[in-house]
Amino acid sequence: MKISCDDARPLVPSYLDGELSEAQASPLRAHLLDCPACREVAKEGKSLRRWFEAVPDPIPVPAGFAARVARRAFAGDPGLLVPEPPAIRQRRPLLPFLLVASAVAAAVLLVLAVAIQRESLPRTNGLDALPSRPPWLDAPASNAQSAAAPSSPSR
Amino acid sequence: MITMHEVAREDVQLVEEALGGNQLSFQLLIERYQDRIFALARHYTTKTVEVEDIVQDTFLKAYRRLETFQRQSSFSTWLYRIAVNTALDFLKRMGRSPVQAVEDPELSASPVRAQAGSGVTVAAPDAHLRREEIARITAEVLAELPEIFRTVLILREFEDMPYQEMADVLGISIGTVESRLFRARARFKDAMLRLHPEFATPD
Repeated sequence: MKISCDDARPLVPSYLDGELSEAQASPLRAHLLDCPACREVAKEGKSLRRWFEAVPDPIPVPAGFAARVARRAFAGDPGLLVPEPPAIRQRRPLLPFLLVASAVAAAVLLVLAVAIQRESLPRTNGLDALPSRPPWLDAPASNAQSAAAPSSPSR
Repeated sequence: MITMHEVAREDVQLVEEALGGNQLSFQLLIERYQDRIFALARHYTTKTVEVEDIVQDTFLKAYRRLETFQRQSSFSTWLYRIAVNTALDFLKRMGRSPVQAVEDPELSASPVRAQAGSGVTVAAPDAHLRREEIARITAEVLAELPEIFRTVLILREFEDMPYQEMADVLGISIGTVESRLFRARARFKDAMLRLHPEFATPD
């Protein structure tokens, strides 16, 4: 069975990886013999693979590695690379924050309410012709009276 | 000669003994696979201490999850999956993953310039290059690749893994293995031509 270039090209990597069945590989091999362009694709694939034939120098396993790791595993060691708990930024519990914020808000409202109430009170009692005086200006009462006496108009 | 099937059966036996509290059985499992996991981790970092950390954590994680090991896949495949994830976690943690979080390398249309028919191909390593030099260049080019592409090339080219085992290790379909490998090789070629234009040959 003959196959076209369009059919052959996608099969080349699997063919080079040894992943094709003989039923798939046989027509591809025949095509590669006939088709220089597809043969070039296969050749490039082989060239690229050659770069992986040189394995890096192995790192020797330290003596006693297996015994040491098994001991640590059975001691419950979670390892070095266990993901850190997502608590790098400590999240504060919400409830205490809300309680404090509510208390502060309530205190501010209370102060405001008192201030507004005081502001809305009449500055005089309405019966007094004189402006109201703060009580501390009149204390002590005896001094105030004696101080006021000379200035009272004589009738 | 011991067959793959016998190895798998012995692995299951050792897993069951380890789950039953036999530390020596788990030690034997480590001894069976430590060379392969060291070799795998070696592709993700060149520092001996870091390789040891990755391998050690792989086995510590494996022990913690030993109860979740399903007998449908081999212990080897299951362990490789943990090892690959541990290595990738390590790269992320060290800020050495070349993939940005927003990039999906599977979908990214970016640079797969060097595909077949582009007019330039990568030559095989020169005969005069020493093995260490070839390995260094390959590692340098691999380090340029997004981690999922690097990983499929490591599993396929260095570990000589069949597509089905790669699919099992990575938790993806064989079709995805094929397409990822195709793109990974195109990226590898692209990076090689960029970093080492001296290995370019006209098509």
